[in-house]
Amino acid sequence: MTQYIIKRILSGVFTIWITTMAVTLLIHLVPGDPVQIMFAQSQATTPEQLEQIRHQLGLDLPIYQQYILYMGRLLHGDFGTTIRGNQPVLDLLLGRLPNTLMLAFSSLIITILIGVTTGFFAAYKRGTWLDTTLMTGAIVGISIPSFWLGLMLMYVFSIRLGWLPVSGTDFKNLILPALTLGLANAAAVSRLTRSSMLDVLNQNYMRTARAKGLAEVTVLSRHAFRNGMINVVNMLGLQFTYMMGGAIVVENVFAWNGIGRLAIQSIFQRDYPTIQGFILIFSFVVVTVSMLLDLLYVWIDPRISYH
Amino acid sequence: MTQQTTTPSSLGSAPVPHEYDSHNQFFRVLWRNSGAKIGSVLLIILVITAIFASAIAPYDPLELGVGDTLTPPNGEFWFGTDELGRDLFSRIVYGTRLTLYVGFIAVGISMTTGVFVGLVAGYSGGWIETILMRTVDVLFSFTETLIALAAVAVLGPSLTNAMIAVGISSIPFYARIAYGAVLVEKQKEYFNAAKALGASHPWLIVRHILPNILSPIIVVATVGVSVAVLSASALSFLGLGAQPPSPEWGAILAGGRDYFKRAPWITTFPGVAIALTVLSFNLLGDGLREALDPHQRR
Repeated sequence: MTQYIIKRILSGVFTIWITTMAVTLLIHLVPGDPVQIMFAQSQATTPEQLEQIRHQLGLDLPIYQQYILYMGRLLHGDFGTTIRGNQPVLDLLLGRLPNTLMLAFSSLIITILIGVTTGFFAAYKRGTWLDTTLMTGAIVGISIPSFWLGLMLMYVFSIRLGWLPVSGTDFKNLILPALTLGLANAAAVSRLTRSSMLDVLNQNYMRTARAKGLAEVTVLSRHAFRNGMINVVNMLGLQFTYMMGGAIVVENVFAWNGIGRLAIQSIFQRDYPTIQGFILIFSFVVVTVSMLLDLLYVWIDPRISYH
Repeated sequence: MTQQTTTPSSLGSAPVPHEYDSHNQFFRVLWRNSGAKIGSVLLIILVITAIFASAIAPYDPLELGVGDTLTPPNGEFWFGTDELGRDLFSRIVYGTRLTLYVGFIAVGISMTTGVFVGLVAGYSGGWIETILMRTVDVLFSFTETLIALAAVAVLGPSLTNAMIAVGISSIPFYARIAYGAVLVEKQKEYFNAAKALGASHPWLIVRHILPNILSPIIVVATVGVSVAVLSASALSFLGLGAQPPSPEWGAILAGGRDYFKRAPWITTFPGVAIALTVLSFNLLGDGLREALDPHQRR
């Protein structure tokens, strides 16, 4: 168990280390002169100024030196400054990160609640109209683009009914984005839960539990649900990763001020320091949270001992 | 067929359909699946629309002012017109071409590269396997969205770049599936027999392993097209893919956002079009999976 945890942490550290290298390389993969591209849209800069910026960013050094320099700065919490406005990238990202995390976690809760409930009942009532309806809904659900679902929810609840605001950053504004992202992923979780529950419902211990006269509620909650959930919990880490990825799109639909919205703006502005910082922070969050959720799985499932 | 219960086998080890005597039988089983039937019909309609777009569309998709601006759907303009008086129906019909093209090419990129990496890693073993699969693991944890965004950030926004970005982003996924499937095939007797007979490495890979791992990969690639269509349209929606005045569906949707209140049809129809396309591939993929892997049939 301890060994598994150590192995898991080491692989997380390895991933983040690779990310730092990829991020350093990123700017060199840009076709053309990245400095010129970065500043082309804003100031009219003279060749001397461009040279000075190149020097500031360390782009005139050999790449391994750039990497060492970049790593050194990262370890001191210096992610560079934005191209326009010279704001520290790390402060900017950390200021927005709570919004993204709030969106990702509330969506995850919605996804699990809706996905698990529908998947469970579809499996339990397998082959009935309920199963057919829920599974038809699920396959349609995984086919709907999240950005469109978001716009349609916005049209109904904000524009037509006027119940919820179109955009903003307080709690009321979180409802629609979280619902959009949650619903978009619930369909996939529902399908997973159903197939996992079907396996459990056909097990011999289910027949035994019923045969010994347990109430149906007990059979379902104690025997079926617990075992069926193991696969779902196993997928939590991956689901969170999907939420973070989906958040990038959904934040832009609802103008939710998270790191995803910032990332898209930076890509438009060719603000490479911010893009690099975003990739690092995003990977760090995804790797760390997935790791914690995986460890939760090990802790929950008593059958598995990791050596 | 009697109902069987097995634990869900991983996709990578999905058995090859030896159960079928002929292709006809396979298609009959596939056709019995109502989802696959609906999916195929939808897909055929989409392909026909894409091929005959110029005959089906009543107007040029880029021509301005063929009708009044922001006309609601009516007998002449079935899907209404946009803010520049372009016929939305014609734009969506032409958009089918772009969507299918982007979906297929993106999957082509990720499938060929991913399968190549997975094959080489699984077949060769040793340090090549370690390096390749560790890289794939790292890329996998980056998530597809992040890889696609990073690729677009490097390449710059355009539909072609979005397509390449989406293609690159799914490589780790196909590599893993091919890798898993190769490991299974390598344990089988036919492989050892061929090896003992002195077959060369390329021969073993191309003639023996590849045909046997193809069916799980085809299933995954079918669903993969739907994922690629969703990702590419999302990039276009964000402004990082197709640029105006392209009739790409995600781009039309993004353009319609400014007129959302007055003209909701501009955002409604492209969304429905994307959803139907994605649905057709998902239905077909589900059907193929069940037909190819009868043990999972429920």
